[in-house]
Amino acid sequence: MGQITALLALQNLAGLISLAGALAVVLVIIFLIATSSKSAGKPCKKHTILKIKPIYFWGIIFVLAVVIFLSIRYLSYPRLQDKADEVVTVVGIQWDWQMANGISDKSAHEFVGKNEILLPVNKKIKFIITSDDVTHSFSIYNNKGVLLTQTQAIPQYRNELFYIFSQKGDYTILCLEYCGLVHPFMSGIIHVE
Amino acid sequence: MITQEPVQLKKERNLAITWGISFLILFPLLIFLGLLMRLGQGELIKLLLANFYAFMTLHGLGMAGLLFSISFAAVWYLISTRYTKLNLKVGYFIFFTIIIGFAGLTFGTLIGKFGAGWYMLYPLPFKDPTWFVWSIKISIISLTVLGIAWLTGILYLLYALLKEYKGFKNLLGWQFASEIGEHKDIPPIIFITSISLIAAIPGFIVGIAIMCMYLFQSFEPVLSFNAVLLNNMTFFFGHTLSTVTLYCSIAWVYALLPEFTMRVWKTNKALLYCWYASLFLMLISYAQHLFMNFIHPLSAYHAGLLAAYLSTVPPTVITILGVFEQLYHSKIKWGIIPLLFLLGTAGLAIGGFVALLNIYQAFNKILHNTLWVPAHFHSYTLMGIVLFVLGFLFYLFSPINYQQKDKLAKTGFWIFIAGGYGFILMFYLGGFNSIPRSFARYTGTGFKNMHATAVSLSQISVGFIIIIIIGLLLMYISLFFRLFKKKDQQHLTDNTVY
Repeated sequence: MGQITALLALQNLAGLISLAGALAVVLVIIFLIATSSKSAGKPCKKHTILKIKPIYFWGIIFVLAVVIFLSIRYLSYPRLQDKADEVVTVVGIQWDWQMANGISDKSAHEFVGKNEILLPVNKKIKFIITSDDVTHSFSIYNNKGVLLTQTQAIPQYRNELFYIFSQKGDYTILCLEYCGLVHPFMSGIIHVE
Repeated sequence: MITQEPVQLKKERNLAITWGISFLILFPLLIFLGLLMRLGQGELIKLLLANFYAFMTLHGLGMAGLLFSISFAAVWYLISTRYTKLNLKVGYFIFFTIIIGFAGLTFGTLIGKFGAGWYMLYPLPFKDPTWFVWSIKISIISLTVLGIAWLTGILYLLYALLKEYKGFKNLLGWQFASEIGEHKDIPPIIFITSISLIAAIPGFIVGIAIMCMYLFQSFEPVLSFNAVLLNNMTFFFGHTLSTVTLYCSIAWVYALLPEFTMRVWKTNKALLYCWYASLFLMLISYAQHLFMNFIHPLSAYHAGLLAAYLSTVPPTVITILGVFEQLYHSKIKWGIIPLLFLLGTAGLAIGGFVALLNIYQAFNKILHNTLWVPAHFHSYTLMGIVLFVLGFLFYLFSPINYQQKDKLAKTGFWIFIAGGYGFILMFYLGGFNSIPRSFARYTGTGFKNMHATAVSLSQISVGFIIIIIIGLLLMYISLFFRLFKKKDQQHLTDNTVY
């Protein structure tokens, strides 16, 4: 069970925020149950609670405005002005990943690539991703099993994913979109040097 | 409020009890499939890949359908006994059609090994050679039958309400804005059910259209459709179905909780505008399921993002704070029914809060399609909607003034809560450890640590599922004891204040 610990800051942060939210809900539940039983004989205080409604409303609007700004600022969507140092074509098939350097002009069905690829460290890589059969998800994991990024591989369409590998080593590609019986065994390797 | 003849009330109650007992039979059977999946992932049993994915498909489709069906049945019962007469023959027709649909789906998945997952993402159903071709056809036909039954029920219920409330103006609360109209006091359950079911209509039409397209392709394999279009349609339908299920279950909390707090919960302008906003945002926010697909225009991303974030405001402002208002210093006696409603609202709040995390783009790309996803939807289904459903069933099965006396039900309830949150926590830990969802086995990932963690979490989950089943069993004993209790058979729906 030693592995059930935080592996990367972002996953860790998401876990901590979730835990804080869940604890807040639990505290409210305890508060509600405790106050409801203590109040016997006291006048109804429903209207004092009504006063927090506008505060809550404007509070949540403010928080959401900040989060929406940040979310749009850091949208995963590839931007047109993004320039890549290297381009890789990726085709997902049941149940394998085929990869090759450069932009392929062949159809997904005719494309021939390998299950492993060598890429440079600290360079912006553009993955052009499609599928020859069903929808897959091209998902990159580092050598500790931490998910770094992902996008879908969709038949007849090409998705673009930009990523900079900041460390040398082997990265594993898994499929995260259920694609049939052998889905959990569909993998590939990126060697970064 | 209408006054029903006792004979008619009894008939309506019998229909609702038929729905309730069907739910109580099917629900643990579908949990059992979940238990088998976690046993397989935990390497405690050897589960063939084909069986795992057939179970996963039936578990997902079955639970989504079952929860919508019982939610629909609950609002049908409360509306038919309080607000307008509904045709029992239509009620039984919908019930039996749904049972036929469920039977067909069970046959297609368990016998035919159809295992395309609960959202059957196009073109997967036609591109996996491992399940029988006939199983695709029977599963799709069964789902079409279910869709037609649900759409018939929705349209009939809306027709009856429109007739009773003399048009959309009264039914949808427009008299609050214009200050005119015959039914000034439209009960929240009527308003919320109506507006939710209206929003469900496009969802179900799209769902039936998907099934028709699938049916065409299953009989004519040379046909092919656009995968991105089908992805949009699938998530639009799935998102609508699950949200409308949730909203219908909230509708009866609005109706029943005030009977325990002795406080009114009336429709007002704030409630009206919040629910309109909720339903409008719901129709757009399905786009949050497509964030990992960069083919859509950037404007669609922005619209989906805004709708998904903003859709959290109305339900929290009006419903969660509404429950707070109802309960705070209410002098309520904590029987099993208000407890189920309170903890159900907590599950809804937790499920909704963590959903916000996934909308945030930096988190989305590292959480999407990991075990975080089943963690999220089990939070608001198992610990939200299911608790609301059990609350309704305790209400339905109970004689007057019985809800405060039952220690067995409360013991079962707290055991269920402990097991449920433990079970969900294992999914959350899996998600935060990057463990993929929908993996029958974790031996193919190439990561020893991920494999070990996934197996450990699955094994612990098995323990929590057993705790859930024990909790359910105790609540079942209490439920059936109430149902078959001879004395004091007068039922709660006789509009008696208690």
